[in-house]
Amino acid sequence: MDTLLIFCGMAVVTFLTRYAAIAALGREIPSRLRRWLRYVPPAVLAALVAPAALAPKGHLELGLPAWALLAGAAVAWRTRSVLWTLVGGLAVFWLLRGLGL
Amino acid sequence: MLDTAPLAPGVIAFGLLYGMVARQVGFSPWEAWAMSLIVHAGSAQFAVLGMWGTAGVVPILLTTLAINLRHLLMGASIAPHLQGLHPRWRAFLALWMSDESYALAIAAYERGTGSPRYFLGANVGIYLLWPTSGLVGALLGSALPDPGRYGLDLVFPLAFLGLLASFLKDRIGVAVALAAGGLALLGVTLLPTGWTVVVAGLLGSLLGLLLEEAKEAWTRS
Repeated sequence: MDTLLIFCGMAVVTFLTRYAAIAALGREIPSRLRRWLRYVPPAVLAALVAPAALAPKGHLELGLPAWALLAGAAVAWRTRSVLWTLVGGLAVFWLLRGLGL
Repeated sequence: MLDTAPLAPGVIAFGLLYGMVARQVGFSPWEAWAMSLIVHAGSAQFAVLGMWGTAGVVPILLTTLAINLRHLLMGASIAPHLQGLHPRWRAFLALWMSDESYALAIAAYERGTGSPRYFLGANVGIYLLWPTSGLVGALLGSALPDPGRYGLDLVFPLAFLGLLASFLKDRIGVAVALAAGGLALLGVTLLPTGWTVVVAGLLGSLLGLLLEEAKEAWTRS
């Protein structure tokens, strides 16, 4: 039940972000707000990736995930494609794991 | 609606992955399905799965908000095309506006072939694909004994990297990402789970705003 309530909360928040600007129709978003909003997604995404790569267990370590994500970062930089990034990163993970590292 | 076909493989692949990972964090296939049906926001769902079980409700909702803020900008750009529509219609179009259907609709409007019907078709096309592929992925995922062995726990971070790359258009973007990543690493040891992303995301993005304004002041002087 709690799970469904959280889903509904997420849905409301999502709807608000989608509808707010459409509802405000014609009115400009203040330029400062718009500039700031542009940097929110990259900041949030980087904040999600960095700990997964370098501190997957809650403390700093350089293991398989770090190398796989480094490879993924290189692919992402070159291709800007989510699917190729997945393929590249997982390939490196499987390779290193196969080598017994 | 048929124009969503070229995007279908991407959405389906993501849906399958989403379903599998959802199983991994302890969702039943039906919960995984319900989340997609109710929330219908892939990136945010991925991000929330990554913190499920360790983070409280407030960080979950704030993360959803942060990941979906981009929709404000999309909404602002498509809003002029929706002028004259009944507010109820506009709300309904906004409800299922995904990255993919927005991209299709705005491209059609710019070609001069766009219409609310086209937008609706794109929305519905993606909305049909996303929960269905998620459910299939979740059902398949139950068959996998130990997804961690296959590196499936790297799926989110890798997907985020792919998304991140499209935001790094200039040096300020790169600086923002590096700062937020560094802050998040610091935060892991200092902050309760879930808050790391919120705090690092907020500070990192404010740095971006500051840098941009500093650069502007610099070039003007």
